[in-house]
Amino acid sequence: MTFLKVKGLEKRFGGRHAVDSVHFDVAAGELVGLIGPNGSGKTTLLNMLSGHLAPDGGTVTLEGREVTRLPVHRRARAGILRMFQLTRVFDRVSTLDNLLVAGRGLGLNARDALTRARALLDELSLSPVAALDAGRLSGGQRKLLEFGTCFMVPPRIALLDEPFAAVHPSMREIMGRFVRERHALGQTFLLVSHDMPVVREMCERSVCMNAGSILADGNTEDVLNDPAVIEAYLGGEAA
Amino acid sequence: MGNSERRLRAEFHGSLVILALVAALPLVLTSVYWQGVVIVSLYYALQAMGWNLVTGYTGQMNLAPAAFAMVGAYGVGLLSHHWGISPWLGVPVGVAAAAGIGLVLGRIVLPLQGAYVALTTLSFAEILRLVIGNSYSVTRGDLGLNVPTVFDGRLPYYYLMLAVVVLVQIALYALMRSRMGLFLQAVRDDEVAAASRGVSIVWWKTLAFVVSSAICGLAGTLYAPFAGLISPELGLILNTGLVVSMVVIGGMGTMIGPIVGALLVYTAGEMLREVGDYHLIVFALLVIVFARFFRGGIWGLLQLGADRLPGRRETGAREG
Repeated sequence: MTFLKVKGLEKRFGGRHAVDSVHFDVAAGELVGLIGPNGSGKTTLLNMLSGHLAPDGGTVTLEGREVTRLPVHRRARAGILRMFQLTRVFDRVSTLDNLLVAGRGLGLNARDALTRARALLDELSLSPVAALDAGRLSGGQRKLLEFGTCFMVPPRIALLDEPFAAVHPSMREIMGRFVRERHALGQTFLLVSHDMPVVREMCERSVCMNAGSILADGNTEDVLNDPAVIEAYLGGEAA
Repeated sequence: MGNSERRLRAEFHGSLVILALVAALPLVLTSVYWQGVVIVSLYYALQAMGWNLVTGYTGQMNLAPAAFAMVGAYGVGLLSHHWGISPWLGVPVGVAAAAGIGLVLGRIVLPLQGAYVALTTLSFAEILRLVIGNSYSVTRGDLGLNVPTVFDGRLPYYYLMLAVVVLVQIALYALMRSRMGLFLQAVRDDEVAAASRGVSIVWWKTLAFVVSSAICGLAGTLYAPFAGLISPELGLILNTGLVVSMVVIGGMGTMIGPIVGALLVYTAGEMLREVGDYHLIVFALLVIVFARFFRGGIWGLLQLGADRLPGRRETGAREG
């Protein structure tokens, strides 16, 4: 069943097509890797899916409902939750309150938000820093915290932009385990990563972008071994 | 309890202690002149509290708090002047007028960001002041409006203004502990991230702007019968500058900063009255120093000192 449908999505910056008529579907419960060289349009595509950028053409449909024109906050409430490549947390409020912003913003009442936040803090090993302002956390902890805010309310689809980049291995392990467990329970993910071993291990399917277009889409092994992908992205090192 | 919650509570309790001291002050401060100075300080404290909500807690640079106080004052003054309506009845009208104008201005301004908010609110404040100043047939222009007093003597005004400051402070504390307070701080820290977590940023910013405008308007409605004469000078950008300096010096984005700042800055201004407007240079320099080196203002410095006391140092997480 098609869960997320991207149809003819395009975005131009000046005369340049950052994303050029992109079509792809994500099925419910899939964990899809989105790969491609720098500047290939992955983050621009994610920005259009989460509502941070208005597309110049095309549509985004979630569970049969077109969400292309919904503002960011309404798209988040519709279940499209986003983790950014450059970490975004609320520096001058506590770690716990960062989670509560997401919980309350996504519609939980105060008590449920607190219960959920405490459970997530435990699961992500952030309980010891729950009371600290997020601005005082380490880079990895901030990334974990932002990751956690995506799961205060189970998202319909989680868009994760380089969650494992520049993170201590122990924290990568925490996030990796979290993603695998949620995926096993049917959570849908779109995972942007330059980390090929991670993509190989986690994603059954991958979509490779290049110059704003989709270069390959299919089984991750097949995509990574596609000569066009190797040529465009991996520089011959993958095989 | 998180740092943010603990900090909020400490600031609130600290502000109540200061307001309790202000309540006891007339026992020793018998000079009518200095009681008047404290009343005006409290008038500015209300404006500073309103401004702090929208700028300190929400991060939107509003340069019109004095204009909203002027709206409140003229709400009382015009009703009294044209229809002989009691200033007491003018209070809700003045507050509603300030809130209503705040709503319209907020809807226009708050989808914008940064300097555009500052420029638009500044332009609005000046336009409003000029309109009031030039509408002689309605407002008597720069001649000002006489407003009937509602009390004899200073002390009733003193305690009325103080009671209102306490009530507004309690309301702001409740607001900051609610979902709204959480969202406003999120918007201040990162609008993009807040929206990505389901927070409707324009809605919450507008609501903060309306509440802030209403508080500034309330300040004006109470000031009008105390002063007995109001003029467009109430809305001067200089007065907004004074409000800004009070909050920055006291501690922006804190519950206590606006109150401490208003009491200190206005009282200091009166003490330095003999040197004329030169005291404004001192405040301007202090604002620069605090904005550059001590973002938390006087309250932040006190907190820093308290944190450095033995046993109070909190372990950072950066090593983790």
